Amino acid sequence: MGVNISAPYIYVCTRMRMRKSKLLPKEEYQRMLNMSVSEITRIVGESEYKQEIDELGTTFKGIDLIEVALSWNLAKEYQKIQEITPGTLKQFTQVYLRRWDIQNVLTILRGKMQGVPSGKIKEILVPAGSLDKVALDRMLTEESPDRIIEMLKDHRMFPVLTREYPLAKESGSFSHMENELYKHLYANIINDAKSGVKGGASFLAYIQLEIDIKNVKTLFRLRADKVDEEAREMFIPGGSLSLNDFASLNAIKDLNEFIDMIRANISNDTLHVLLDEVKAKKGGVQYIEARLTRVQLEQMEKMSKRNPFSIHPILVYLEKKKYEVFNLRALARGKESQLPSEKIVDYLVM
Amino acid sequence: MAAEAVVAAVDVGMSVEQIAASQVGMKAIGAGLAVGLTGIGTGVAEMGIGAAAVGAIAENKDFFGLGLLFTVIPETIVIFGLVVGLLLLFL
Repeated sequence: MGVNISAPYIYVCTRMRMRKSKLLPKEEYQRMLNMSVSEITRIVGESEYKQEIDELGTTFKGIDLIEVALSWNLAKEYQKIQEITPGTLKQFTQVYLRRWDIQNVLTILRGKMQGVPSGKIKEILVPAGSLDKVALDRMLTEESPDRIIEMLKDHRMFPVLTREYPLAKESGSFSHMENELYKHLYANIINDAKSGVKGGASFLAYIQLEIDIKNVKTLFRLRADKVDEEAREMFIPGGSLSLNDFASLNAIKDLNEFIDMIRANISNDTLHVLLDEVKAKKGGVQYIEARLTRVQLEQMEKMSKRNPFSIHPILVYLEKKKYEVFNLRALARGKESQLPSEKIVDYLVM
Repeated sequence: MAAEAVVAAVDVGMSVEQIAASQVGMKAIGAGLAVGLTGIGTGVAEMGIGAAAVGAIAENKDFFGLGLLFTVIPETIVIFGLVVGLLLLFL
């Protein structure tokens, strides 16, 4: 893995490290667990989210204010990062952020199918990918989903959309299409990383880690939900597991045997520690998922220290920022629904 | 030493003036190399530090003083070169 010692790389990686150091520490979440929604809003409003909270304070109230401010801030942050990253790092960042396009397009399609007003859909969009605010607004003004898909002619996900949309429309469920879109995205990302561009190897290492963690999460979720059919469909190729491994893992009923098999298939020390923990103490699927995310982040941190001037420091920040937003949202939502603190903690990645 | 050089120079047909001039020339080349090469070294060293410092300052203005200080620390290398150059020329 090449260490790129060039000034723009050093510049941007330092900026990402500085930004990462400004993220909320674990203790802050612990404190917030004992607060009400309005107190959380106040704390959030005093931190990096001040500008958004101030801007939206007149339009939204309570939980909606936090939610929209968080999404806006995340989108703004991601757009900013795309602006400052140089050369191939920019290309990788854009490829990585393309997942938000999938999420936004699916949100719009789902909303339109269910007749949700455009204003409501707009509130939950995060214009962080290649489709910016203007493009998304244009899509929102269209009423028919077919026209919306047509507008995405030049986008890389267009072939999958046209192939899968008729089926989704017929069945009324977008879940199959969603799986296909993500598989296509990962296949594309792996292709880009393998195209021989400088720094592609470190990007590939990250993507494989993410796919592994995603597959393990899916396996745990499938176990919890006891769904056997369609398991093969949820598998994302490209990581350490093959489709056959995935299917046979899913078929194992005994938890201990299941965990031993994952250990044998995926070599990752941090993951192994977590698996031992799960073996000893059965946590809920939410808890395991949050811990798996933690494993991913820790592994990414290690990778970013090994390659200090590569795509890794940027990806670590992008992911950590995403989970900060998720955590704050989970906290605010949990408090709003008056869930006990012990339950909310399971959802937090910290 | 000088006598040997004169003998050697006489062997190749150089006058004493020519020898003195070439000695000054060699010193000047040495001084030039000392300052020039250390200058390049300083530049390479400052590239990374400067880039990182500007990155840090872009995120937090308070780093200006510290960033500037760290950026100029490799200047010592070129100062060593300058000292060697001056010693060569004037001693």
